[in-house]
Amino acid sequence: MEWMMELLKSPPGLSNLSTFLILTLPVLSIVLGFVTYAILAERKVLGYMQLRYGPNRTGGRFGLLQTVADVLKLLIKEDTRPKEADRPLFILAPVIAFVPSFMVLAVIPYTESVMFANIGVGLLYFIAISGLTTVGMLTAGWASNNKYALMGGMRSAAQMISYEIPLLMALVGVVLFAGSLNLVEIVEQQQYIPYILLQPIGFIIFFIAATAELNRTPFDLPEAESELIAGYHVEYSGFRFAFFMLAEYVYLFAMSALITVLYLGGWNPIIGLGFIPDLVWFGIKFSILVFVFMWVRATLPRIRPDQLMEFGWKVLLPVAMLNIFLSAILKEIFF
Amino acid sequence: MKGITKGLAHTLRNMSKKKMSYQYPDEPVPMPDRFRGIQKFYPEKCIVCNQCVNICPTDCIQLTGKKHPDPDRKGRIIETYDINFEICILCDLCTEVCPTEAIVMTNNFELADYSRDELFKDLQWLDENDTNVREEN
Amino acid sequence: MIRTEEMLLNVGPQHPSTHGVFRLVVKVEGEIIREATPVIGYLHRGTEKLAEDLQYTQIIPYTDRMDYLSAMTNNYVICHAVETIVGLEVPERAEYLRVIAMELGRIASHLVWYGTYLLDLGATSPFLYAFREREAIINLLNELCGARLTFNYMRIGGVKWDAPEGWIDKVREFIPYMREQLDGYHGFISGNEIFLNRVKGIGQYTQEEAIQYSLSGANLRCTGVDYDIRKVEPYSIYDRFDFDVPVGETGDAWARYKCRMGEIEESLKILEQAVEQIPEEGKVLGKVPRIIKAPKGEVYVRIESPRGEIGCYIASDNKKSPYRLKFRRPSFYNLQILPKLLEGENMANLVTILGGVDIVLGEVDG
Repeated sequence: MEWMMELLKSPPGLSNLSTFLILTLPVLSIVLGFVTYAILAERKVLGYMQLRYGPNRTGGRFGLLQTVADVLKLLIKEDTRPKEADRPLFILAPVIAFVPSFMVLAVIPYTESVMFANIGVGLLYFIAISGLTTVGMLTAGWASNNKYALMGGMRSAAQMISYEIPLLMALVGVVLFAGSLNLVEIVEQQQYIPYILLQPIGFIIFFIAATAELNRTPFDLPEAESELIAGYHVEYSGFRFAFFMLAEYVYLFAMSALITVLYLGGWNPIIGLGFIPDLVWFGIKFSILVFVFMWVRATLPRIRPDQLMEFGWKVLLPVAMLNIFLSAILKEIFF
Repeated sequence: MKGITKGLAHTLRNMSKKKMSYQYPDEPVPMPDRFRGIQKFYPEKCIVCNQCVNICPTDCIQLTGKKHPDPDRKGRIIETYDINFEICILCDLCTEVCPTEAIVMTNNFELADYSRDELFKDLQWLDENDTNVREEN
Repeated sequence: MIRTEEMLLNVGPQHPSTHGVFRLVVKVEGEIIREATPVIGYLHRGTEKLAEDLQYTQIIPYTDRMDYLSAMTNNYVICHAVETIVGLEVPERAEYLRVIAMELGRIASHLVWYGTYLLDLGATSPFLYAFREREAIINLLNELCGARLTFNYMRIGGVKWDAPEGWIDKVREFIPYMREQLDGYHGFISGNEIFLNRVKGIGQYTQEEAIQYSLSGANLRCTGVDYDIRKVEPYSIYDRFDFDVPVGETGDAWARYKCRMGEIEESLKILEQAVEQIPEEGKVLGKVPRIIKAPKGEVYVRIESPRGEIGCYIASDNKKSPYRLKFRRPSFYNLQILPKLLEGENMANLVTILGGVDIVLGEVDG
């Protein structure tokens, strides 16, 4: 970490810039690798739950190269753009949607040593940056000059804003317990008891709100296939579309990692099983969460927009408030 | 919450259940004997009675006959017999009316081709289509 | 100045949840629908006009393509109409085979509805589960008549094939299996809170409205009208079976869902009795003249298809083909209430209501 600090303090220059760029490459490749296999895993899990096999042709019996082939196909596809689209915004939107999703990864601690930036307000940074993606979706919806896309964009904006609040409120409980916004410290506080046991209500609220933030079933209204066809990215094709897909799955990665860190104790082992390496522990907890997201997707129907708003403001928010009070009282009495 | 939990349990249970996928292009899907596939035509059995042409709901069969080459024998024999599979709906009526079972169904059903012209099957093609011929007619 | 504007939105003809090539021109204000105009005819093939040049037997394969999800009932209605006008007797075993085939078709049709309806609501898995059972039914029907969807099984005066060996037993085995799976469906989705919230109170209409719009089938019964042609005007041998007619009360999408799921159970009951009662031996095709000529006159018969009352009117002038043939296609009539139901609803309810009406475009457009 020392050399990192030195690097940060060094004067700007081309060599520094290239160092920074090269440093991001491993993260990018890990994340892209994850996305490739998360998409495959999602299709496999959905397939098995739906009495199918999922991809099983490209890349052997398990379809290991299916996503690679899909991405290649997207790369060589024609990049269509509606004639009446707002050209600069249309081009900018996928970038706005994708870049924040990648930026948030910087603060996630995977183990004590494997992390990229250990900033004091990591949690706040994560939430603040991830909120930016909505702008990308709204832009995409507006720029496409398509009525369905516009509706999808509006829906996504409304949904993101109303679910960001319970999400943050649920976090306050964790912050109260840990006494810090630094993600590493939050993990260290959970050495013996993960916060899922101390904050069950908070965890459930956070999980629901996170599903909504990720635009996944049952909260996939912005891209509701049966109503809005594909929502805000209906007019996108080729690699621009791939960017939206990528953003979605990178967020799945980031959000699952964040929940692992906040509620499941990060890399902390279950007591007595400390011989298993930290990174494996993180991986196990993380994979379970990703599976649960897919499992929920295979089961539930989509919620209706007005009910979604009602649920967000009238149920989640008050419960989240209550959770803060409960946490504060607990904290005062026991800790 | 109870309904959602039950639903989640249901999907989880189904994960280990038998998969319903057909391995179709790799393994052929077995069709029951009665399956109505592409017709097989026996030119030697045909008596040119024209019943199949008359019954065909989409008018996809065309045939011509000629006099029997052996002058001692009465009747006619088939000269050309074409089925246009662009419009044939495999309804089974032609095989049903055929008095000599000169036209019968087979279990073959793969008709996809690169050109529409290929779908126009003549007597020779229909005669050579002799695999999986249906037994009951 | 801030002002709002109505937006004209074309839903369909290519849209994932219009169940075919159905088009709705919707005026929306935000997400609220102000006016909806259905546009039909993209799948029009002119079955009725074509029939005027066809012999009666030749019409049967065309009816397969109207309501392609339950072709057996369509087969039956045309055969029944011709048999009525000519005055033909149908052998007993043939009648039982017809009933078994029709009830299997009804279950298959409702299963497709169940699957696609939940797909419209955003749940992907029920579709695959429903299609597993439907596949079992389709395999049964494939063994019986040699086609998976376009059966062309019934003939005027009977049916084409007798049941193959062991087929009746397979149907018998299918009934408990289907019951078990049906319980699974109910456990899976019928109690799901999200689902309930989306269907309860949506697309509601009263008994009077339903009757005024000439709705039939589950769309009518969901309002509490106990009207099933199998009961009120038994055709074929339906008077020999003991079954109930599921009737709803509220007239909303939830009541329609319950009615249809109930109908699957009742169809299983009918099947159970039919496979017990079916005579072991017997002819399956009655005495039919080689060329069927309907005497001069007209006839209207109606039966209960999975979607409602399907009727067939034949006006004949003593020829091989009808002078005029008219099908009363239930989907078309049921669709008429749609613009009224959609008014003032939001976009998400559009698919709930449209799916709940259960239309088959082949039938709507004829």
